[in-house]
Amino acid sequence: MTATDRAPAQATQRFVLRQLIAAEWAAGIFGLRLFMACVAIATFMMGAVWALGDGLSTMLGRGGATFLGGDVAVTMTNVPLSEETRDAIAGLGVLSEVAELRSSAQFEDGRAAVEVKGVDALYPLYGSVRVGSARDLADVLAEEGAHPGAVVEPSLLARTGAEVGDVFRLGDRTFTIADTLILEPDRLSAGRFMVGPRVLVRLDVLQDSGLIQRGSLAEYRYRVKDEAGAPELLVEAVRALRPDYGWEFETPSDAGDVVLRTVDRTTTFLGMAGIAAFAIGLSGAWAAAKAWVRRRARTIALYRLSGATPGMVLALHAAIMAMASAAGLALGLAASAAVAAPLLEAITAWLNVAWSAADVLTQLLSVAGIFAIGLIGAGLLALSGAARIAPGAAMRSGDAPLRADPRHASIAVGFLTASLAAAALSLPIPGLAGLATLGLGVAVGLLTLAAGALARLVARRRPRSFIGGVVVQSLGDTGNTATRAIAVGIGIFGVTAIVAAQSSLTRALTDEIPDRAPALVLLDVQPAQVAAIEDRIERDPGLSGLQSSPFMRMTLTAVNGVPVEQALIRQDKSWVIEGDRSFAWSAEPTGAELLAGDWWAPDYSGPPLISPEEDLMEAFDLKVGDTMTYSVLGRSFTSEVVNIRKEYHRTMRPEFLMLASPDPFRGAPHTWIMSLQGENDIAVDSLIRDLAADYPNITAIDARRIVAQLRDVISGATFASFLIAALLVVAGALSLAALVASDVDSRRQEALVFSLVGASRREVAIARLTEAAAIGLIAAVIGGLTGGVGGYFAVTAALRIDWQPGLAALILPVALGIAASVAAGIVGGLGAAPRGRGQLIRQLTG
Amino acid sequence: MALVLDLADGAQRAQAAPAETVVSLTQARLSYPSPEGEVSVLRGIDIQLAAGEITAVTGPSGSGKSSLIAVIGGLEKATGGDVDVLGVDLNQASESVRTNLRRRDIGIVFQSFHLIPAMTAVQNAALPMVLAGETEAETAAARMLDRVGLGHRLTHRPSALSGGEQQRVAIARAFAASPRLVLADEPTGNLDQATGDEVVRVMFDLVRETGASMLLVTHDPALAEKCDRTIAIDSGLVRT
Repeated sequence: MTATDRAPAQATQRFVLRQLIAAEWAAGIFGLRLFMACVAIATFMMGAVWALGDGLSTMLGRGGATFLGGDVAVTMTNVPLSEETRDAIAGLGVLSEVAELRSSAQFEDGRAAVEVKGVDALYPLYGSVRVGSARDLADVLAEEGAHPGAVVEPSLLARTGAEVGDVFRLGDRTFTIADTLILEPDRLSAGRFMVGPRVLVRLDVLQDSGLIQRGSLAEYRYRVKDEAGAPELLVEAVRALRPDYGWEFETPSDAGDVVLRTVDRTTTFLGMAGIAAFAIGLSGAWAAAKAWVRRRARTIALYRLSGATPGMVLALHAAIMAMASAAGLALGLAASAAVAAPLLEAITAWLNVAWSAADVLTQLLSVAGIFAIGLIGAGLLALSGAARIAPGAAMRSGDAPLRADPRHASIAVGFLTASLAAAALSLPIPGLAGLATLGLGVAVGLLTLAAGALARLVARRRPRSFIGGVVVQSLGDTGNTATRAIAVGIGIFGVTAIVAAQSSLTRALTDEIPDRAPALVLLDVQPAQVAAIEDRIERDPGLSGLQSSPFMRMTLTAVNGVPVEQALIRQDKSWVIEGDRSFAWSAEPTGAELLAGDWWAPDYSGPPLISPEEDLMEAFDLKVGDTMTYSVLGRSFTSEVVNIRKEYHRTMRPEFLMLASPDPFRGAPHTWIMSLQGENDIAVDSLIRDLAADYPNITAIDARRIVAQLRDVISGATFASFLIAALLVVAGALSLAALVASDVDSRRQEALVFSLVGASRREVAIARLTEAAAIGLIAAVIGGLTGGVGGYFAVTAALRIDWQPGLAALILPVALGIAASVAAGIVGGLGAAPRGRGQLIRQLTG
Repeated sequence: MALVLDLADGAQRAQAAPAETVVSLTQARLSYPSPEGEVSVLRGIDIQLAAGEITAVTGPSGSGKSSLIAVIGGLEKATGGDVDVLGVDLNQASESVRTNLRRRDIGIVFQSFHLIPAMTAVQNAALPMVLAGETEAETAAARMLDRVGLGHRLTHRPSALSGGEQQRVAIARAFAASPRLVLADEPTGNLDQATGDEVVRVMFDLVRETGASMLLVTHDPALAEKCDRTIAIDSGLVRT
């Protein structure tokens, strides 16, 4: 046949195919509802995970300079840069300065802890501050009135009942609330827990307020914007200016790294759940598609009998499945957008970053693309057998076996692998996702091997009983046994890993809630005020547990003369060299447990000796007798380690990474920190009022409120992770339902025959339960074990939390295996036997 | 001759009726629920079958022939009248009694074969004997398959057998446990004339050899004529 001859034939074929598709469409694609449900729920989970996790990472990664506030930034704690260094930096680019500190704002009816930020006229160098009235920040702050203006977060107004136009005091100065703060572009640069709402004021006014004194716990940030078009040269030029005292030096990629790392860790759990949902969704969709093809075997044979070619049959069913896939994908994506959008809105508002619908749309489209590739593979695997149904099957009784074309199977495996790889690569942590995919591959491999071994084992048996015979006949089919074990096993693998991770995450989050939290923490207490405040607290029977100590900051620069970057041996402890860390002096032992060495004598007055905390020991393999070089208040010290302390974190009490003997720090400008317990709220509230009246410079942090907030956040996170794990169980159950449905028709037919020849309903049920239990057991053991191992790696390597899988992770695989057995047994055994008057006749004659 | 049936639960024992009457239906009725209301398919049937007798049941489609097989085979409970099969009152018998009766004493052959696709010919034929706990079930099934001319197809699955071969497997299965009653519902309906004749010949030979009774539903007048007697039913009633 020539090409000219073929063209009309092809046109006819296309016309016929269109007619058939239209007819099938008119008949509805209801038979694929289980398939659509599997696709929809997996797409929903993937869409939500990708939009939240990957979308957030993309948004954050893009705004490094905005989050940092410049192309390069240096931060000084307690003391500003020297004029000389400041001027040198100013000569390299556009310099903007801000100062941040915690303080108490005094309103007419009370006080509130606030995070004050003094900004200069150039702030912000990147991005823009959004205020309630949509004006420029500089215009708002520059307004001349009775008092200088302040822009405050709406939560401060809600908490105090104040309104725009009202006044409040910070230190010695009175401010007018000029506007509300909606978005602060460099909020993430603070990099610490905010104890109260943000208050923006002019830097020169803040410096004039009496709040910033030498030694105050203020952070001075200097951001530089490149004007020469070579930000990397600017970075190097600023870095070269590094003075001999410590400063925190950051570039946009550092800021991005810190933020991204934080987001990546929190989205890792979501990513794992997404991959698991993807795998479960695909296996469910495959099983459901296979069930559909099996049910249509006779129709397909009739099409073939009527002259349809195998290619036409394949194209027709692929088109129907594509329509069902599109419907499932659309449903899932719509649901994930509906869930992800408000969540993103809330999270980005909390992080003070902007998000765009385009980012979410991109993520959802990528999910649709990845899932579509996977569905092509799953669909081809299911449909391949359809194309091979012979026309004669229409005339035969019983089910003709559906055997996939090996060529189609290879292509399908290629598509499935590609989709899994694409899913892994598009997650925030491709390495981890790749590991999860590898784990999945190992699980599938082991399940195939175990199912094959079981099939070979039973095939050698020659049972004489009816039940044994049916079980052997069914399990002896290697392909069928492996298919079922894989489909159930993948679900168990995913659910076990996620439930174990969820349980560990919940416990880790719960552990974050301080169990010995103080009621009140006082910052910026001047040394001269300490004695009077201690006296006030000790006289009040409603207050107890007072702890007070100097509060300073230090930056580590060298260990035994080696720069800290080179001396660090534990990367997970790198935070000890990132920026300034807590430091105090103490004459007396603090009561902390000593891991090595002894305390200095209470009257020791020689060169400073130091007591590092356990984390420092682990970071540098420190021993008593080693030396550490550190910078305090701009001065460099090298001291000998005389002991190593163990501190129990998560108490919210003042704890210090390094303690030193009193001299010479005792005489240096610094403030004190005090913490105390309250027997009742009245006593604590009364103290807060007294301190506000007598010591306006002191910042009182109401830890009761912070702990309550923390509990709320953790409850939310715990609930969210539980919800994700629960959704995954639903996805697993759907996949299981698809699997059970995949051969329910043939099981019904078999049950009917068994009834005809005298098998009781009980015997059929026991046979099916035994067979399903064997597969369920393999799936539970292998899926559970591999899921457990996968969960362990994810929890310890990615989430970096303790492995606490809980009882649920142990019980669930077994429970799911049993559920699979019971469901398959009931449907294939008891449920398959005809019940009700006339049902059997209909089946016999149908 | 009196027959004692061993029941699965061992609690009941039923005495068989005298050998001369193996099936007795008196005003047997059967109706099914349907969305349009109750559908009466058997509206008062009276039939007596004697031991060793081959009885043809004829009638138009939808007259209730298959339902009659289902009631006598204990697959459906009559909704009225008396149904006594091999001395067992099927209207009073429990599910397990009816199952045991089918397992040991009744063989059924259908137009559409009803074989287990995943089982070989010999496994399919051996099923009733396996259920009855016979130790040499497959050996006996192989002998029976050889008897129906399928000795060379023992390990073939149904999908590899022709329609006539599949029906012969179904016949071998029906006769394998030496039943006292064989129910055949249009056994040649799916077969060509020559194959159908061969299948009928095999069935008749087996009935004569084993002394079983057979109730044969057929549309074919020529086949009905070969039987000992013919009962015609129409609209759920025996036509006189």
